[in-house]
Amino acid sequence: MIIPVRCFSCGKPIGHLWAQYQGRLSKGEDKNKVLDELGIQRYCCRSVFLGHVDLADEAAQFKKF
Amino acid sequence: MEIELLSTSKDKSTIRFLLKGTVPAFANLLRRVILEEVPVMAIEDVDFVKNSSVLYDEMIAHRLGLLPLTTDLTFYKLPEKSENMGKGRAEVELKLTLKAKGPGMVYAKDLQSKDPSVRPVFPDTPIANLLKGQSLELEATAVLGRGRSHMKWSPGHAYYKYKPEVEIRGEVKNAGAVIEKDHNKIFEMKNGKLAVAKEAALSCDLSLEYSELDPAISITARDDEFVFTLESWGQLSPKSILEEACKVIEEQCTEYAALMKESA
Ligand SMILES: [Zn+2]
Repeated sequence: MIIPVRCFSCGKPIGHLWAQYQGRLSKGEDKNKVLDELGIQRYCCRSVFLGHVDLADEAAQFKKF
Repeated sequence: MEIELLSTSKDKSTIRFLLKGTVPAFANLLRRVILEEVPVMAIEDVDFVKNSSVLYDEMIAHRLGLLPLTTDLTFYKLPEKSENMGKGRAEVELKLTLKAKGPGMVYAKDLQSKDPSVRPVFPDTPIANLLKGQSLELEATAVLGRGRSHMKWSPGHAYYKYKPEVEIRGEVKNAGAVIEKDHNKIFEMKNGKLAVAKEAALSCDLSLEYSELDPAISITARDDEFVFTLESWGQLSPKSILEEACKVIEEQCTEYAALMKESA
């Protein structure tokens, strides 16, 4: 849906890094390298980024109950 | 007991230090007090005036709660330490308001804080996305709290390990195989001989693999010295987290001693 504010497991704040991550990936940079440089070291935080699909804008077009 | 600072990260959010001359129970006490007892600010209540975004009120409130807020411990007080839980008092409650209209992303920096010293640590954290015609209006209340009731009030991440001691006694025959397995780079080749890289030895993860590869290598752990890592989430500096943790330990010990005296 929308990127979590913090990592599910360790609690590190990571939400603010998503836009940078997306931007650099769209320029063709390597995921591994970008995550390292953003300071996302642990695999719990990395998995939040790797597994995330941003659907907030798609879902926003439908009615909320 | 002694503390020796090993390293500070570039952004000063993480420190690593050696805790010397103590016992595992104390290292764990320090870890738990940091995680559960050091108070920081976080949003606790949210009043929604308007929310036509795709996210439910609860979800937005949850996201707001998880935002780390810069914390001034000299001014703010825990609600339970103030009269009547301090409802409405400036040193207990802080109001933040948010008003946003779509289209666009609402960020943590859009929160207007009544106290400029308390603000989101990461202003670029996305809160909710708004399409054209959607809007969000709310008032949030931030209070001090402790990690033991919710992790949003935890100041950071703290962990430790026993200090590794890596030694080479005698001649290493399988130096090549050891270097190949050495993912932490704790060994190096010096004049064609295997040697322990002094600085890197602390990052050894106590794998017994090396000593299995060659009996000349001994890897042990000290149980009176700890490599302690403290990672701040940004509300407080690592130094003030440690200082505050020490204060809490002292307070609790004093309280315990008083209770013992009473019951004796
Ligand atoms: Zn994590």
